[in-house]
Amino acid sequence: MRPATLAKALAGAGVTGALLVLPFVGSPLVNDWTVRICSLIILAVSWNLALNAGLISLGHSAFWGLGSYAALLSANDLGATLPVSLVIAMLAGSLAGSGLAAVTGSLRGIFFAIATLAFSEILRVVALMTPQFTGGAEGLYLNPTLRPGSTPVTLGVVLGALACLAVSYALSLTRFNIACRAMRSSEETSKMFGINPLPYRVGCLAIAGAMASLAGGLNLWHGGFLDPLVAFDLHVTVLAQIAPIVGGIYTLTGPVVGAVLIVVLSEVTRIWLGASGYSQLILGVLLVVCVLAMPAGLIGLWRNYAQKRAGSGSLEAGHG
Amino acid sequence: MGIYLQLLIDGILLGGLYTLVATGISLSYGVIRVINFAHGEFIMLGAYAAFWAVTLSGLDPLLMLPAIIVGGGLFGYALQRLFIQRILNAPHVNQILLTFGFSLILQNIAAILWTGDLRSAPSVVSYSVTELGPLMVPHSRLVAFTVAVVLVIGMLAWLKWSELGRATRAVAQNHRAALLMGINIHLIYAICFGISASLGAAAGSLMSFLVTISPWMGFPLVVKSFAVVALGGLGSVLGTIVGGFVLGLSETAVSFFIPGGSGWAEGVSFVFLIAILVFRPRGIFGLAVEEDAR
Repeated sequence: MRPATLAKALAGAGVTGALLVLPFVGSPLVNDWTVRICSLIILAVSWNLALNAGLISLGHSAFWGLGSYAALLSANDLGATLPVSLVIAMLAGSLAGSGLAAVTGSLRGIFFAIATLAFSEILRVVALMTPQFTGGAEGLYLNPTLRPGSTPVTLGVVLGALACLAVSYALSLTRFNIACRAMRSSEETSKMFGINPLPYRVGCLAIAGAMASLAGGLNLWHGGFLDPLVAFDLHVTVLAQIAPIVGGIYTLTGPVVGAVLIVVLSEVTRIWLGASGYSQLILGVLLVVCVLAMPAGLIGLWRNYAQKRAGSGSLEAGHG
Repeated sequence: MGIYLQLLIDGILLGGLYTLVATGISLSYGVIRVINFAHGEFIMLGAYAAFWAVTLSGLDPLLMLPAIIVGGGLFGYALQRLFIQRILNAPHVNQILLTFGFSLILQNIAAILWTGDLRSAPSVVSYSVTELGPLMVPHSRLVAFTVAVVLVIGMLAWLKWSELGRATRAVAQNHRAALLMGINIHLIYAICFGISASLGAAAGSLMSFLVTISPWMGFPLVVKSFAVVALGGLGSVLGTIVGGFVLGLSETAVSFFIPGGSGWAEGVSFVFLIAILVFRPRGIFGLAVEEDAR
């Protein structure tokens, strides 16, 4: 094992260990931060996974909201426990994802993106207009007697994030990943190599949808309240895309780095500047700066630096 | 009978505004090939400009319109030159994220400077109405509609008859060939983005006396405009106009005929959008230009 690889493995193990211990520290503030960071990791990994196949999603709030509602309704109406309701949430998300992929067929790039945005907005309108299920604009509370307390929920979010990372790593070793990357470069060319894009799109969005719905479901158990504007908030989509772009798109670690940075940054601005307008303003500036100055994200910057130091002379950021 | 005529009038008056907003998006996408998610923020800024003009100087929002159009144009021109210019050949995802970033920045600057309070900017035409038998035509909507139609026709005339308009159409058809013909395509891009922004700002100042103004008013209008543009087919000017009226009439009809309809009406554009993208991606008129491979 090369020293660099060993260092990476040790760092990974260290972070994993720390994350698994955190829920048992028990402080509400630490739990809240852990939940926010880990749910953003899940969202970012999910968004990055779709992007890896060339599918630009502007509809991650749809999966998030569906997952939240699936968890809420299964818990309140059927008495589902935390893990059961999360499985239901993931099923709902993967159904929605595969359905969306099947319906959008061969739409690409910006057209796919707009279709996903419309999908999410439709769900918001439907949720607002069907108060018999969702409580309408007044929202619904999770039955308080069902809530298992903060530690199990936080542990659930940590395990969820680790599981999503494991899935994304496992996928990166398979033929599936190679096919997705080929589709991203050119769907036409990948067809010539015998790749039928549809099953890959369906598979990819089913997994990404399940992940984002898991994050939504977990956040419902963390917060205990849901209304259509919270569930299908565009802000979820913005966060899901900003974390990978800051960290580095098409990489495994980029979404994680980005998610941690975003949550820390928004906490710091909230503490220093108060009003939430500033933290969102900073997210916008970050988005613009990243796209213009470092489209390969922090991971890309780091790789450039490492390559320069190694003297390979190439300035291109490698994509994983 | 009267009620149907009334719905027709309401729908057409609403459709004119949708057409104005969508024409701006259609122009910038058709020529520059970058979907501008921040277009709604031009509308929002135009509405706030009108609001502050009324509040600080007591001028009518309509009197401010020329200044708002010029200001919006300069703002758009600068935005294109400074930022959009640099991502013309970037992957789609970067273009989307950049304009999304602008949208976030402008929304939150507005929220920080002017708070999230809902406001409105009354005009002299706000409180008068013409009654034609059983029909009601509010003057505010009629004036907004008329100005919108004049602006859209003006833009079309510019495209059709002016030298720059001809150059713009050439760039939209094939930017490489236009470049070879000696057209300064980057100037054309910046001018188009400026015109697009000024149409957005104009729409905003018209809306300042029709709807409530808030920092977040723009984004939903952008998504509706995507529906209008998709209905008409990208690149089809006539299609965009028809699309605006189709959306205006459908929303009016849905909010009237369906119980609790004004909530559902908000969803009409999204359903149109998905249906058109899925079943007929080239729009009703099928004139859409193929997306080039750049």
